[in-house]
Amino acid sequence: MRVPDCSVDPFRLCAANMLDAKLHGGQVRLQTEVTGILREGNTVKGIRTHNRNTGADQEFYAPIVVNAGGVWGQELAQMAGIKVGMFPAKGSLLIFAHRVNNMVINRCRKPSNADILVPGDTVCIVGTTSSRIPLEECRNVAVTPDEVTLLITEGMKLAPRLASTRILRAYAGVRPLVSADDDPSGRNISRGIVCLDHEVRDGVKGLITITGGKLTSYRLMAEMATDLVCKKLGVDKACETAIHPLPGSEEGSYEEVAKKIWENPTTAQKVAAARMGSRVSRIRSTDRRDEALICECEQVTMGEINSAIDRLEASTLTDLRRRTRVGMGTCQGEFCACRAAGLLAKAHGCIEKERADIDYFLQERWKGNFPIGWGDTLREAEYTQWVYKHVLGI
Amino acid sequence: MRYDAVIVGGGLAGLTAGISLQKAGKKTAIVSTGQNALYFFSGCFESIQEPTPEILSLFSEAGVRVHYTPGVRLMPMGTFKESALALDDVSLFPAPDFGKKVLIINFMAYHDFFSSFLAQGLEKQGMECRIRFLNLGDLAQPELGPNQMRAVQIARKLDDVWEKVVQEVRVLLKDEDTVVLPQVFGLNDASIPERIRQGIPARVVFAGTLPPSVPGIRTQNLLKKRYEVLGGTYLLGDRVTGAHVYEDVVQNVVTKQLDRHYLEADHFILASGSFFSKGLSSNPFKIYEPLFELDMDYDTDRNTWYDPTFANHQPYLGFGVKTDAEFHPSRHGVPVKNLYVIGSILGETHPELGSGAGLAIRSALQVTQLITGKP
Repeated sequence: MRVPDCSVDPFRLCAANMLDAKLHGGQVRLQTEVTGILREGNTVKGIRTHNRNTGADQEFYAPIVVNAGGVWGQELAQMAGIKVGMFPAKGSLLIFAHRVNNMVINRCRKPSNADILVPGDTVCIVGTTSSRIPLEECRNVAVTPDEVTLLITEGMKLAPRLASTRILRAYAGVRPLVSADDDPSGRNISRGIVCLDHEVRDGVKGLITITGGKLTSYRLMAEMATDLVCKKLGVDKACETAIHPLPGSEEGSYEEVAKKIWENPTTAQKVAAARMGSRVSRIRSTDRRDEALICECEQVTMGEINSAIDRLEASTLTDLRRRTRVGMGTCQGEFCACRAAGLLAKAHGCIEKERADIDYFLQERWKGNFPIGWGDTLREAEYTQWVYKHVLGI
Repeated sequence: MRYDAVIVGGGLAGLTAGISLQKAGKKTAIVSTGQNALYFFSGCFESIQEPTPEILSLFSEAGVRVHYTPGVRLMPMGTFKESALALDDVSLFPAPDFGKKVLIINFMAYHDFFSSFLAQGLEKQGMECRIRFLNLGDLAQPELGPNQMRAVQIARKLDDVWEKVVQEVRVLLKDEDTVVLPQVFGLNDASIPERIRQGIPARVVFAGTLPPSVPGIRTQNLLKKRYEVLGGTYLLGDRVTGAHVYEDVVQNVVTKQLDRHYLEADHFILASGSFFSKGLSSNPFKIYEPLFELDMDYDTDRNTWYDPTFANHQPYLGFGVKTDAEFHPSRHGVPVKNLYVIGSILGETHPELGSGAGLAIRSALQVTQLITGKP
């Protein structure tokens, strides 16, 4: 029996969707936090936002507001005076420093912890766990030692090789489980996609919520939400996202894409093609200096970073990490953090901000390293401490 | 092969022990994999607040130019740190506001020197900064490719053309009282930083870069050369893979290259470094010394090894091999009579010796005294 599994690069998926929206005329505003929902009587008119970069507050108006805030959907709905019961479920995973498999390996049993070993890029990931956490904890999820032990033990049953494979990082995310009813204990969790028309459900016009589901059904969720938006706006058009490929995914494999652009692509050029698809043609440059490797572990060039800053809304190290994989390799930001920060400072002009950015980035990397802090991870951690504190003076 | 002392590890601690023992007439060998913490040396000898004549002559006799000037030094990210004993390259100031107008010089496409962060740090001290870039390709051919712009490769080029850099700086200099340059000068010639200072009519401050450290490698090479001039055998590119210990006495050590040609000695010194240098190892359950299985001083609860806040002091950095007052370690509680442990592998078990360079040098000198019986 074979399951038609595959794995996807979630960072590339997200960036491609964002880019697609922009190409179709949408505006994307990052670092912009929704601080309130503007309501006039029973009608939602728009949102109030706060920009973390500029500190400015701004209001946006629209006939429909779509709440796609994931686990923060509850807070957002609350801003409109609406109750959507969410029961965040934390899941922890381990990333191994290299692949031990080229196909997804699943446990053939009822859903339980650490059921799946997924290869992707240069790593493989074992997951996951599930534990309810309070909403407040969502801003700062941490992987516990027990979870690490469980993931290693169960993971070894999927691939004994994992026992001697270096663990790169531990991380946790939160699933936005939605209650099917008003029961506060959350015993009845909605399975599948949840699309709430608040005009029908709560008598409040101009607001819908789309949540639940899984990553693999994200496009369908978006289709359901936009069908509902179109219905309310009186737009009679069918959704086409099921037919049109996302920007960069039109052509063949990343190797083919790279070969078309550079006859003899370097490793850095190939992995950039894996990250960006055919959009990678944007970073082709005649200036050799653009080939300078800012992140050696993940082979990220200065050209790719500048492209992410210019085209993909990257304004912090975390943004760069998500768009280009800077800091995600075995050194976990040891060298590249300062180099990339230098490029960001040059782009947006604020050194002070980049100093703080480096501190934040290193702390965030450490968060995922110390739960698996032994062996080579501990060696790298010691080196990082020495370099940043004694050599660089951070 | 038999020696008076065999030293495992050829970094600052191992070389200090080797040099001092050779000076005292002992026949020694050092086994070194090749790299050590000097490769990311900041240029400042940490925790040496008051260098003894012995420490100063260790350096002067090796041609390592140091100066003792308690004060603060400029760090690569624009901050300042208190220091006292430093290589010639590293300027030490009585206070952080040491200048008024600064010209910061970097090389184009060199990403490991943080000129804008330096400028910000200096501006905070009330200085006015101007950053200018030199094109190394103009000064030295063939040009370095974009991924060869690392401290050591640049330094190799500059060993030949540093005078051109001085000329360029003199042309660029306006009314600045200070020039900041990256620490990429004098890889093979320790006199170059001073000669650069003499050639530029302003205060010259060399600020550090990302590793590898050019001053560190220079220092390593000078100390190794001194050791060999004194008759020491530096087995470079080898690694001790095991040891034979019989009745609390180390009989010999085995190395990868020498294989059956065990190294025998009256005394063995373990200077193999901390986690990064693989002197200490770890797995999910324990921290251990891999060669001799020496007793360690640490807490077995892994959760206590780390502080979740990166910026805080990390407990695991303090873990080290347990030793008695005479630097003898033990195995299962029994002291190993002819084995000594020095340097960063001691962690923070001897706080009176300091940390970093201070720990390496002081522990090495004390063990030398114990072995030679001379004060």
